[in-house]
Amino acid sequence: MYFTIGDYVAGMFIGALTALSVRAAVWPGMDMVIAMLLGMGIGMVIHLVLGLVLSPWLGMFETMMPASVIGMYGGMFFGMRDSMAAGSPTLTAAAIVGMLFGALVVLGVKIYNRALRGAVVDTGD
Amino acid sequence: MDTETQRKWDEASRTFDWLTFADDHRLGPHKRRLFSKIRGATLMVAAGTGNDFKFFPPGQRIIAIDISPKMLERAAKKATAYPGTIELREMDVGALPFPDASFDTIVTVCTFCSVPKPVAGLRELYRVLKPDGQLLMFEHVRSKIGPFGILLDLMTPLSRRLGPDLNRDTVGNVQKAGFRLRREENVYLDIVKIIEAVKG
Repeated sequence: MYFTIGDYVAGMFIGALTALSVRAAVWPGMDMVIAMLLGMGIGMVIHLVLGLVLSPWLGMFETMMPASVIGMYGGMFFGMRDSMAAGSPTLTAAAIVGMLFGALVVLGVKIYNRALRGAVVDTGD
Repeated sequence: MDTETQRKWDEASRTFDWLTFADDHRLGPHKRRLFSKIRGATLMVAAGTGNDFKFFPPGQRIIAIDISPKMLERAAKKATAYPGTIELREMDVGALPFPDASFDTIVTVCTFCSVPKPVAGLRELYRVLKPDGQLLMFEHVRSKIGPFGILLDLMTPLSRRLGPDLNRDTVGNVQKAGFRLRREENVYLDIVKIIEAVKG
């Protein structure tokens, strides 16, 4: 239970921090491609730093893999929204969207992991 | 002896237990399940600080090697607590001083992400394994899932400085060394795996 809750809290934290950081760097009217690339770069830096910090408490791969999706794809997504001024109107709303995105990614990775888990090769020897 | 690798893992030994605390808890049951298959004369390669000794079934006679004397210093207490026999020896997997066909079981845990010449190391394991012996591995490998694989490639130059590579094809390396896969199991995504192999 500790690890399950920890996974979601970590994902939500990384999502919120990515959303707020991208909001600080991207302004409405910015070229969307540049905004998305900038957002992805910011997200990757955040996921690398926080992933390393959180790994001892939550496990290296269980932290880094969802964090990478949140950072890379979330950063692009938030950058796109903010450049179009289609993003959340307040910082609180942006943080909430980031948290929701983070939680959804963690859930998605857990479901994907469940699908992949198990024998790939088993000769029965 | 590969002194560069030895120095890296001597350094890593200071924080190793702390960094692997969560992994031990999350992955421990899978390791215990794998190690329940241990039989006969057993070699553990890269014992580290001995964190995995607690997952061994009791009553075994195991030789546990590591390239890092600092790691082995930390492992000594855990080896004493094991309800069986664990003999610790400083050794490089690339040059094992054992005769051919010495072991019934060889165990590795997150080892071949770090061995500089993995296929050569695995060939050495092939040599010291008995013809009917088994290789039991708990390893992390490069993901074949696009974004995860790219991420592991990007992180490897950094992780290599502190410890392991994150993008090794250990399943392929096991086969290149001459082993035949008996079982391959995904433990976390397609990154953390149980690999069981026998002589081909």
